[in-house]
Amino acid sequence: MSPTVLLAILVLLALAGNLAGRRRALAVSGGDVRRLHSLTRYHGLSVTLFTAVPALFLFGAWLFVQPLVIEGKVSRMAALSAVSDAGAAELVMGDIRRVAGGLDVLAASEGLSEGDLASLRVEEGDLPSRLAKAGVAIAGDISADVLDAAREYRRLTHLSSVAMTVAVTAMALAGLFWSLRRLTPDYRARNISESFVLALFIGSALVAVLTTFGIIASLLVESIHFFRLYPAQDFLFNLTWNPQFRGGSDLGIWPLLWGTLYVSFVALTFAVPVGLMAAIYLSEYATAATRAVIKPAIEILAGIPTIVYGLFALITVGPFLRDHFAQPLGLGSSSSSVMTAGLVMGIMLIPFVSSLSDDIINAVPQSLRDGSYGLGATQSETVRQVILPAALPGIVGSILLAASRAIGETMIVVMGAGASARLDLNPFEAMTTITVKIVSQLTGDTEFASPETLVAFALGMALFIFTLGLNVLALYVVRKYREQYE
Amino acid sequence: MAESANMNVMRQTDRDTAMADVKIDARGVQVFYGDNHAIKDVDVEIGDRMVTAFIGPSGCGKSTFLRCLNRMNDTIPGCRVEGQLKLDGEDIYDRRVDPVQLRAKVGMVFQKPNPFPKSIYDNVAYGPRIHGLTRNKAELDEVVEKSLRRAALWNEVKDRLAAPGTGLSGGQQQRLCIARAVATSPEVLLMDEPCSALDPIATAQVEELIDELRSRFAVVIVTHSMQQAARVSQKTAFFHLGNLVEFGETAQIFTNPHDPRTESYITGRIG
Repeated sequence: MSPTVLLAILVLLALAGNLAGRRRALAVSGGDVRRLHSLTRYHGLSVTLFTAVPALFLFGAWLFVQPLVIEGKVSRMAALSAVSDAGAAELVMGDIRRVAGGLDVLAASEGLSEGDLASLRVEEGDLPSRLAKAGVAIAGDISADVLDAAREYRRLTHLSSVAMTVAVTAMALAGLFWSLRRLTPDYRARNISESFVLALFIGSALVAVLTTFGIIASLLVESIHFFRLYPAQDFLFNLTWNPQFRGGSDLGIWPLLWGTLYVSFVALTFAVPVGLMAAIYLSEYATAATRAVIKPAIEILAGIPTIVYGLFALITVGPFLRDHFAQPLGLGSSSSSVMTAGLVMGIMLIPFVSSLSDDIINAVPQSLRDGSYGLGATQSETVRQVILPAALPGIVGSILLAASRAIGETMIVVMGAGASARLDLNPFEAMTTITVKIVSQLTGDTEFASPETLVAFALGMALFIFTLGLNVLALYVVRKYREQYE
Repeated sequence: MAESANMNVMRQTDRDTAMADVKIDARGVQVFYGDNHAIKDVDVEIGDRMVTAFIGPSGCGKSTFLRCLNRMNDTIPGCRVEGQLKLDGEDIYDRRVDPVQLRAKVGMVFQKPNPFPKSIYDNVAYGPRIHGLTRNKAELDEVVEKSLRRAALWNEVKDRLAAPGTGLSGGQQQRLCIARAVATSPEVLLMDEPCSALDPIATAQVEELIDELRSRFAVVIVTHSMQQAARVSQKTAFFHLGNLVEFGETAQIFTNPHDPRTESYITGRIG
C-alpha cells in the first residue's frame, strides 16, 4: 500500500476521532456543556491529536528505518562482502535497487505473475533489454547474485510496507479509542491541545536552529578533509590562486577575499548613499501620492533576478565603463571589471538600503520631529541632527544586510567582473570573488576527494564565518544604540 | 472642585495682572482640517510677560489654536488657517514670514516629554547651535547652564551632562524640554499640556517654573486641569466646540464667569 493511501487513512481516522470526541464530550456532559472543563471542540482536537500524532511519528520513523534495515539484510546476502570499497558497494546497491524497481515495472508491463518473476533467470540473456524496453536502464550485465538480491529486496519491501500499514493504522486506532475512553467532564482537553500547539511552535523554531547547525557541521567536516590534504597556512597566507586539476595547485584565499571585499566595497559605496538619500526623500519629503508610486517602483529592483542584473552588467555597463572610463584613462581594456560588477551590484542593493531605512525613519516618533521644528529647526536640520541619529541602529542594520548580500552575490560577479583571481588595486581590472570560485571548483566534478574540489567547502566556511561576523557586529551595534528614543 | 479653584484664585488676585503690551493679537482666526471647521472665529490678545491659559474640554480646539501661533499646523497636510494672527504687529501667516524663524521666536513645549536621542548637553545646545546664537564653546556652555538653571534642572544633571536625555525621569525630561526651548531665547513660549504626563511632584516643579518664566516671556499654556490654570495663569481663555466662549482675567473666569457654558465647565457639568 502506498504512503499516500496510508496518509489518507490517517486523515480520515483523525477526522472521525474529532467528531467522536465532540460527541462523547457532549454525551458525558449530559447535555450541559458548561459542566465540561474544556469546550467540545478542544475535546475533538485532543482525540484528533492522540489519533494522528503518535501514528505519524511511527510512520515517519518506519520510512526512515526501513531502507536501512532492508539494505543491510540484502547487502549481507548479496556478494557485496566481496567488495571492500565503500563506493563500489554503493554502486552495487544502486544496481540492486534499480533491478528491483525494474522487476516491478516488468510485472506491470508484461503481466508477469510473482511466480514468473521468481523463475526469471539471468541466463536467459534478454533481461537487460526487456528491462530497457520497460524504461529501466541497467549498465552492463546483471549477475545472478544481483538478481537474487533484487528479488529479496522486493520481497522485504513489500512485506515491510504491509507491516507498516498495519502497525500505523493500529497505532492510530489505539490512540483514538484510548483518548475517547479517557474523556470525562473534568478532562483538560484545552490544556493538552494548547501544549501540543506550543510543541509545534518550539519545533518550528528549532528547525531553523538545527538547520544552521547542520550546515555548519557539513561545511566543517568537508573543510577538515580539505585541510588534511592541503596545509591551512598555505590556504590562509598564500597570495596566489591557481588551481590545477593535475595537482600542485596554489589555493591561497587572499585573491578571492580581496576580490570579494573590493566588489562589495564598490557596491556599498554606491548603494548606501543613494539608498539612504532615497529613503530620506521618501519618508520626509515626498507627498503620500509620490511615495505610493516611487516606493513600489524602487522595490521592483529587489525582485529582479540577479542573472538579469548580470546581463545588464555584461552587455551595457561593462562596455560603457570600458569605452568611456577605462580606456581613456589608460586603466585597461577589459569590460569585465570590479567597477562593472560593483556598480550593478550597487543598483541591486539600493532597495535593500532604501526600503528598510525608509521604514525605520518612518518609525521615528513624530514627537521628535515636532520638538525639533518647535525649536525653529529646518527640515534638513531636523533630518540630519534628530532623525538620522535616532534611526541609526536600524540604518546600520540595513547597511549590514546589504553588505551580507553583496558578499554572497555570485551571478553579477561572474558576468560583470569575470573569473580571474587577482590581487590588484585597479578597479577596471577583472577580478573574482569567493562565491564565484566555489561554483567553478564544484561544477562538473562531483567526487569530493581532491583538494581542488574540497577547497570549495573551506571557502564556504570562510564566507560563512565572515558574514556571521558581520551579523554579530550588526546585532551589537543595534543593541548598543537601541533605546535611544521612547 | 469649584471651591478649591476659588481659593487658588483668591491667592492670585493680588498678582499684577494689568494688561502689559499685547504680544500676539489674533482676530477672526478660522482653522480647517480638510472639511472639518476646527476653530471658529477666535479673537484673543496674548499679553507679554504673563501666563495665558487655554482651557476647555477635549477636542475643543485649544491645542489646534496653540499650534497656529507658531505655525506648527503647517506640517499637518490639509490644514488651513484663515484670519489675522499678529506677533508684535507682524502677520504670522504673511507670505514673507519664514516659519523656521518664527518658531525660533515662538518656542514650544509638548504634551509628552520628547528629548532628542542625544546627551543632555546636546539637547539644550540644539537650538543655540542651529541658530548660531553663540560664538564659541564657552558661550554655549554658559547658555546651556543658564537654561538648565532656569528650568530648575541644573543641580540634578550638572554631573552627567553627557548622559542621554532619554535616561532622565519623566519630570526631568519635561524640564529638559523646557530648558531646550528656553535656550533658544524665544519671546513666546507655548506649552501644550506640559504636565499631563507628569506626577504631582514634577507637576508642581514645572508649575513653579512657569511662574518664573513669565518674568521674561509671554507664556501660553494649554491645560486640562482647571486648578493648574487657576494656579499659574493671569488670563484664561475658555474654548468649547471650536469657539472661544470667554476670555478674561483668570480670577474673573473662575469666580464670576459671564457665560453659562464657562460656569458649567468649571463646575464640572460639561466637559
